[in-house]
Amino acid sequence: MSRSRVALAVVVVVAAIVIQTTVFAQGRIQPLGFAPALVTLVIVALSVYLEPEYLLLVGFTAGILVDLMGSSTLGLWAMTLTAVAYIAGRLKQTVVDRPLMLIFVVFGATVFGQFLYVLLATLFGHDTISEPRVLGNVVMPAVWNVLLAVPVFWILSKIFNRTTSRLAV
Amino acid sequence: MFSASGRQIDRATIIFLTLTAVAFIVATYDVRSSGEGVADTMREGTQSLFTPLQSGVDFVTRPAVGFVDGIANIAGLRDDNERLASRVRELEASASEGESLREQVIQLEAINGLTVPGELATVTARIGGSGASTFDNIRFIDKGSEDGIVAGQAVVDEDGLVGWVDLVSAKASRIRLIIDPAVSVGVRISRTNETGIVTGHGDGPLRLEMFRANEGVNVGDRVVTVGSRFPPGIAVGTIEASAKAEVGFVLRTGVNPAVRLSQLDYVKVIVGWSPIDAQLQDEDATPQTTVVPETTSTTEGSG
Repeated sequence: MSRSRVALAVVVVVAAIVIQTTVFAQGRIQPLGFAPALVTLVIVALSVYLEPEYLLLVGFTAGILVDLMGSSTLGLWAMTLTAVAYIAGRLKQTVVDRPLMLIFVVFGATVFGQFLYVLLATLFGHDTISEPRVLGNVVMPAVWNVLLAVPVFWILSKIFNRTTSRLAV
Repeated sequence: MFSASGRQIDRATIIFLTLTAVAFIVATYDVRSSGEGVADTMREGTQSLFTPLQSGVDFVTRPAVGFVDGIANIAGLRDDNERLASRVRELEASASEGESLREQVIQLEAINGLTVPGELATVTARIGGSGASTFDNIRFIDKGSEDGIVAGQAVVDEDGLVGWVDLVSAKASRIRLIIDPAVSVGVRISRTNETGIVTGHGDGPLRLEMFRANEGVNVGDRVVTVGSRFPPGIAVGTIEASAKAEVGFVLRTGVNPAVRLSQLDYVKVIVGWSPIDAQLQDEDATPQTTVVPETTSTTEGSG
């Protein structure tokens, strides 16, 4: 069960990366000039369906893929998304018990992820913190993630619940 | 799981710390290897795997994305129309003047033995996607080594320099945009002919540094490539703020990029001018010390 869910989660992460790099690429859909951080949102959403240990592995894998598809030092997004996965795993019960908390968890996790990446990138010599739109790049993806949270959580619930019921049969 | 200082550390925390340590080691290795070696091979491999997926999704979603983007920017389109109408009038006014200047330029280039960028062999490519995070200043194109593209070649569109190719696989390539802080380009101010270095600064204006400037720069002065790693005369941008050259001090100011990076669709990779050509030209030009200042030839296109 867990293995199939992890495999499905990796497929979802790959899909999120492809959508992030095409649909939400610069020059495409970027309201107010900023794109959502779709991979971070997906990691938070996956916390509902995966055990914390597996979520960490998926977060790490997602981070490595984002690093490989980006221009930054390999490992920085791996560290960032592993940390996001750790926090999302800790807050899983909060989201399940009180769905309204989802807004705060998604917003907080995204801001945390973006800010942690800025710090790590700066420490590794990328000078990201001095870029003019760094504040917008930290906050605005979190705002779009909150707006996208409902459809993303709904899609993942359909995918994972259908897969689980099929496996049960 | 086990006790440390009297507190239980659970399995998830141990895995988290282990994975963080692994990621840190990977990052350190990547920094020490300067993005080459195994990391570069992994990047090329991942890029090759993702390119077909990106192309498929891009093909399917492009019309819908264009529609949504058009609605989102409907107010901006009106402003764009007014700005473009004004621009057309300006261009029409300067067209006749430009014709005579073009003849002069052709004569001067023939004298100096320069190559016009427009005459170099190019490969037209389509932008297929961007980086996977909101902090990346890269684009992926649908042409690669099979089309004659090699790392280091300049990428332009109709407005000027877009960036340079920094990673190539068989069917796709990655462009590092000129706004990336890791990109430096040797440039010349068209009006004064003085040279300097332009460095990316994220979404802000490019940073221009001129170490041996005798004259100041004015708002709107055209900045073009000086011609070493990249062909000479490609528009880079215009001066954002006037600055004076003080003796003994570096002249620093901003440059607004000539290209609109948010509206890139098709680009041209200049395959007729590779870094090897640049080296050969540098070697040929060595006796003529006026062609390329050493400071620019060593930094241009570095990343």
